[in-house]
Amino acid sequence: MSPEAQHTILWLIPGAPLAAAIIIALLGPKWLGERSRWPCWIAQAISAVCALVLLANIVPNNWVQAADDNGPVGVVASGYTWLDLGQADDGGMQVRIDLRADAISALMLAMVTTVSFLVSVFAAGYMHGDRGFPRFFAAFSLFVFSMCMLVLSSNYLQLYIFWEGVGLCSYLLIGYWYERPAAAAAAKKAFVVNRIGDMGFILAIFLIWTSFNSLDFSSVLFDADQMRFALDQHPNRLAWVPFLLLIGAMAKSAQFPLHVWLPDAMEGPTPVSALIHAATMVTAGVYLIARSMPLFMNVPDAQVLVSVVGAVTALLTALIALTQNDLKRVLAYSTVSQLGFMFMALGVGAAGAHLATAGATAGMFHLFTHGFFKALLFLTAGSVMHSMGDVIDMRRFSGLRRALPITHWTFLCGAAALAGVPLLSGFWSKDEILVVLHEASEHPQYGNYFATIYWIATITAALTAFYTFRAYFMTFWGPERFPAEAGHHPHDAPPVMAWPLRLLAVAALGIGLVTGVTHWFARYLQHTPSMEPEEHMVFHVDLMVLSSAVALAGIAAAWWMYVRRTGVASGVASRAPFLYDLSAKKFFLDEIYNAVIVLPLRLVAKLMYLIDVFVIDRIVDTVGALPRLLSAGPRLLHAGFVSNYALMMWVGLLACLGYMLGLFS
Amino acid sequence: MNVAIQQLIHSVDLISPELILLATVCVMFITGPFFVSEGGAAPPGLRKRWGAFSLVALACAGFVWFTSPHADPVTTGPFRVDNLTWYVRGLSLIIGAVLAVLFIDQVDDSHSAEAQACLLAILAGVNLTAIANDLVVLFLALELVSIPTYVLLYLPRRGQSNQEATVKYILLSIFSSAVMLYGMSLLYGAVGTTNLVGILEALRGGQAAGSATLLRMSAALLVAGLSFRVAAVPFHFYAPDVFQGVTSAGAALLSFIPKVVGFVAFMRLLPLAGGLGLQTPAAGAPSLRLLLAVLSIASMLIGNLLALRQQNLQRLLAYSSIAHAGYMLVGLAVGWGAGTTSGISALLFYLAAYGLMTIGVFALIACVGSSGSAIRTQSDLAGLSRTHPAIALGLAVCLISLTGLPPTGGFFGKLNLFLASWSDGTTMGIVLAASLALNAAISAWYYMRLVAVMYFENAPGDAPQKVSLAPAVAGAACALGTVLLFLAPQTIWELAARFTP
Repeated sequence: MSPEAQHTILWLIPGAPLAAAIIIALLGPKWLGERSRWPCWIAQAISAVCALVLLANIVPNNWVQAADDNGPVGVVASGYTWLDLGQADDGGMQVRIDLRADAISALMLAMVTTVSFLVSVFAAGYMHGDRGFPRFFAAFSLFVFSMCMLVLSSNYLQLYIFWEGVGLCSYLLIGYWYERPAAAAAAKKAFVVNRIGDMGFILAIFLIWTSFNSLDFSSVLFDADQMRFALDQHPNRLAWVPFLLLIGAMAKSAQFPLHVWLPDAMEGPTPVSALIHAATMVTAGVYLIARSMPLFMNVPDAQVLVSVVGAVTALLTALIALTQNDLKRVLAYSTVSQLGFMFMALGVGAAGAHLATAGATAGMFHLFTHGFFKALLFLTAGSVMHSMGDVIDMRRFSGLRRALPITHWTFLCGAAALAGVPLLSGFWSKDEILVVLHEASEHPQYGNYFATIYWIATITAALTAFYTFRAYFMTFWGPERFPAEAGHHPHDAPPVMAWPLRLLAVAALGIGLVTGVTHWFARYLQHTPSMEPEEHMVFHVDLMVLSSAVALAGIAAAWWMYVRRTGVASGVASRAPFLYDLSAKKFFLDEIYNAVIVLPLRLVAKLMYLIDVFVIDRIVDTVGALPRLLSAGPRLLHAGFVSNYALMMWVGLLACLGYMLGLFS
Repeated sequence: MNVAIQQLIHSVDLISPELILLATVCVMFITGPFFVSEGGAAPPGLRKRWGAFSLVALACAGFVWFTSPHADPVTTGPFRVDNLTWYVRGLSLIIGAVLAVLFIDQVDDSHSAEAQACLLAILAGVNLTAIANDLVVLFLALELVSIPTYVLLYLPRRGQSNQEATVKYILLSIFSSAVMLYGMSLLYGAVGTTNLVGILEALRGGQAAGSATLLRMSAALLVAGLSFRVAAVPFHFYAPDVFQGVTSAGAALLSFIPKVVGFVAFMRLLPLAGGLGLQTPAAGAPSLRLLLAVLSIASMLIGNLLALRQQNLQRLLAYSSIAHAGYMLVGLAVGWGAGTTSGISALLFYLAAYGLMTIGVFALIACVGSSGSAIRTQSDLAGLSRTHPAIALGLAVCLISLTGLPPTGGFFGKLNLFLASWSDGTTMGIVLAASLALNAAISAWYYMRLVAVMYFENAPGDAPQKVSLAPAVAGAACALGTVLLFLAPQTIWELAARFTP
């Protein structure tokens, strides 16, 4: 393939969704209406095909080429210079907008574009009849554009721009039903919490800039000499960078204590929850850390912190998910928990450089499989909502497996994959995470941390299986009950919604089998520059058996509590009311934040408001009145008489003359 | 004699885009009256045809401009072609096309030929200012801009306020031209030639050493005369009254074209100060840069403070135009200083960004409502985001650009000026940068208030007014250009940075 064709394909991946977004935004409300789905579908399809070509052809060809002539690894489609302020070696700044693809971005893009294509097809059925149909598809396409640009970024500033871009789209889509106060509040919450992370990220970018004099990945991440030089020059600055990056990643990927926005984000339409808040945007933090691995490798403490944050998040949110009654919230907390799994894996580099690649691989692999099965679960939840008249409280319906067969079977596939049933996709990726954590626990210094984290991960895996199947049994088993909103005969998903579900179900079942058993994923990912190729890839059969047992035990417990002995669950809840409340009320985190952060800030804001009204406004009014007072004298001059204006100009001219002739000095 | 004839023959080549425009002007003035009956009645839609005609002429001139060389060797002839010429020509032709579209609906059918012809003559004048290599040519070019402007402002004949405003502008503009001409004649008297290259050589050679006072006086007079063009304090008094009186399209023209010619003339004359010993004077002696810096700070402050309390939209924009003259004078005062960013390049970039955003605001104001219920005051904007969402969005983009916030070209405009003055390193540069930042903050108050009125206040409730197409197209082009300038600023910046004295 010629370089031009490669560049065209690379540019088409984000370009097609952008074009769709513009077309729908311009023509949608007036002319396209529900036909807005077509530009969106076509664009996502083009984007997905191009991403698959990139994955299968362009990137592997580049490795061969790079190995032959020792060139740079990664395909770059050059764009243009966006900013060029002064000379780069003189504190100036040059920022280019380029597209850069290598193994890690190709894998991520393949997942992002295929999932978004399937979700866009589903959404056309789900959003049918909604007033803001074109608005939805315009924002949706804009999101896919921003996400692809984020993954294809070639420098940190570009990444940051589109990091904000996906955040903006997320805000727009969470608040899509902006007439509902809950949706508007959730959008605001997501926006504000993400600002905290953005602050960390932008500070990290400043520090990277001042220590490397560049923001390009090629000089910051992939150039060992530059890294050594920068470490010599600015050891303290570089020690801060990973922590700040972690703050950015924590907000975007909803890690404790910044996870509070994600469950509320479920106020958005369900396809949005599936795409943005499960499969793609929230994994941007994982991508950022995996991408910045060389910066993290310098600071083992930061890596341990990554794992600890992931472990705390995974366990905490799994416990919360146990008692939620809203199906989408169960899935939301499970998303946070699974993201915690990925973070756990990303930090194992602290226990030796040889594990860093394995950790990043495990994290990215879980991101990859999770994208498919979690999107599937959300879409099936959307399908349930669709047929239940927008009711999503699991206490109000049950026994849907006969009324909604397609939804039932596809949900079961997704749930089994999430729970880690052997041989399904979630099993392979979760198992890899457990393996790297187990290996890391042999490290002399940090071994104890990782041993603890390993056991937390195992317990969380059991909890995951339990709450996933709790939701499954509560929804699809038991006596057949429908809420009043559903009408008499709830209908299953129409074909436009059913086919994406079926395809995603196949992916949820099989994608791990294809990529996990053969170690294809790991072998592919290792071609990413800055990742060391790993020599030995073996299966740890004992760990596999353990994790299978844990998953099956969780499922069995759920079956026993919610199908066999339906009274047990409420019995447990009433016997340990405090523990139940702790979980059901989300460890009171929202209340704690309210008391510790929101209320004091409100008070400060009130104070500022008073100062504003009584002090600042007074000053501004006075200053504003000053010109009037000053102009009171020459007001006659300003009354519209030309001669007076001419006189003023004459005076100005005399002043200039006087100055130039040195009369004033 | 032979040399002069050679130069003249050669110069026809140099000014071919302007000749195309002027030929079109002649055609329009001569044939225009034939389409109008004795009673002043004209076939409907005539103004659209004349508008299309002038767009075709602009396109032809644009083609010639685009294929013309960027720079020729500078001689002692009447014209010089360098990167400044190329840049200003492109700017005036592109923005001129927007103005031509804007003017289509601003005059009656019966006067449309004259209006478009005047506009083309003005644009030819702008181009000639940029190509002038001689004081006489420079003055003629400036008058070629001024005189058609008087006619163009007078043509709409919309009531007395329009006429009063135009007459005020004519009288004061003539006054400033006289001042400038006096300055030029003093300069000629001191060095004995009107050619800019010749003057510079004479000054460098020390031939005018005895007439330093004359030179200083001429510098002051030229600064005063050109400051009127760019509407800098204290030569700004005409602006609020005139902007308020004339039509929106007229105000759009006045906010941009005189600034371009003023600053371009400054750029042509300022290098002379280098030979004068005024660029880097001995401590305590008067300095041209310091004078410009004082004018700049005064314009920024007074323009912004007086804009704070304006209710009438066009009066507010007049003060905003004064403030922007102050911002651009920052670039002029810093000049080709020691900094990493050249002030002149920053100024040229700002001119492009400013043209888009200010004309965009006027055009979008003009397109809502007929003459009966035009938008005159701030409160007329209330609820525009609901009645005309697209126009409100375009206006918001232009206003955000005027404030200097991303994602608009105005952001990079102010950023470049700030970097230029900050990196200059002198106390003056730092003071200028600080007051630029301070004034950008002050201006946010009144620009953002307009955005807030459009988006957060409810419409008075009467039926939405009709949108006239031509100004809407012009405004949309400006808003789009403003955003594009943010997305790809380097395309313009590289052209702007190419010009060095």
